[in-house]
Amino acid sequence: MKKEQANWLAVLKIAMPLCLSYIPIGLACGVLLHAGGLNTWLIGLVSLIVYSGGAQFLIATMLTIHAPISQIVIMLFFLELRYALLGSSLSHYLKKSSHKFILGFAFSLNDENYAVNYLKFATDKFWTPGNALLVEHYALYTWAISNVIGSLIGSSLTINLVIVDFALTALFLFMVTMQVKRRLTLLTAILSGILSAFFCVTMKSTLGIVVATMLGSTAGFLADRFIRSMSPDSPLLYKVRGPSGTREMINDQALTEERLLDEQNEKTKDTKQP
Amino acid sequence: MKDLTLVLLAGVAAFIPRYFPMLFFSKRKIPDWFNEWMGFVPVSLFTALIVKQIFVTSTYAFSLGNVAAMISAVIVILIAYFTRSMTLSVVLGLAVMWGLTMLL
Repeated sequence: MKKEQANWLAVLKIAMPLCLSYIPIGLACGVLLHAGGLNTWLIGLVSLIVYSGGAQFLIATMLTIHAPISQIVIMLFFLELRYALLGSSLSHYLKKSSHKFILGFAFSLNDENYAVNYLKFATDKFWTPGNALLVEHYALYTWAISNVIGSLIGSSLTINLVIVDFALTALFLFMVTMQVKRRLTLLTAILSGILSAFFCVTMKSTLGIVVATMLGSTAGFLADRFIRSMSPDSPLLYKVRGPSGTREMINDQALTEERLLDEQNEKTKDTKQP
Repeated sequence: MKDLTLVLLAGVAAFIPRYFPMLFFSKRKIPDWFNEWMGFVPVSLFTALIVKQIFVTSTYAFSLGNVAAMISAVIVILIAYFTRSMTLSVVLGLAVMWGLTMLL
């Protein structure tokens, strides 16, 4: 970082790719939340306090299938539990920070700004917690403003609900496809799908989704442990082949920290990439 | 009012897992089992939602009647697999879905 350059500007340059990528997703999210029935003020508020694409798309979906508030909140909590990982892995860079700072930092943490900050903390010894918080805030405001604009676009269009519902389905299909890296993950997904249909129909409630998620993820986790201890060469643990030139999703970085660091060490000090 | 309650509770649900582990694990190590378990959560949740959307009707009956969504879903998976682009997957998926609902 050059010394002549103002700090806020230098940090903004680092946060810029992230902010730009939030605009289209934020717009889409605003349109869909509006279709789910939230008004523009609430969409602004939810973007500020929940601040997570996955979680907000989940809220939009659960609203369109008329799930009760309690279920939406339970599912959200379960989905957001992964932040326990991300937050924990950043926490040793924040040892010298006050509790108040950690509170504010945790409040604005999400997948993407975690990735940027993790990389900066790991590779740039001049990167401070204050800079990291600034990255979080730049991204937060871009995200919230995009959501609000999306909501205004949504309110000025009449949208075919069948098609909008499918936008969310397509989004989740994309996320699942990106996350299936091993055969076992694919099996977990299939199991979870079958359980979801079964429990939604038998319980006559969207609670079936909650039950299917709990059972499916636990089954996948237990099977993974069992197979690895009993037969580490099992074909179930094989990777699913991606097409050539596959790019990792940002979400996976928490699980592949070491590999990420190695790659970064190989590169020269070109730390601008998020 | 109901929506405001939802948004505020959602904020609480989002804040708890962000804050307390960060504070707690600043001096401890994250247990491996938790790490591994969480790795399976998003896949399970998203598939459960997808299946509900495509195969379960609003009256909670199992249905194979949503042919347009089924075909579009397969196409979205293929586009996602080969292009790895979220925008392309969603936009082309919507276009196919729109076309199929017109045709079928």
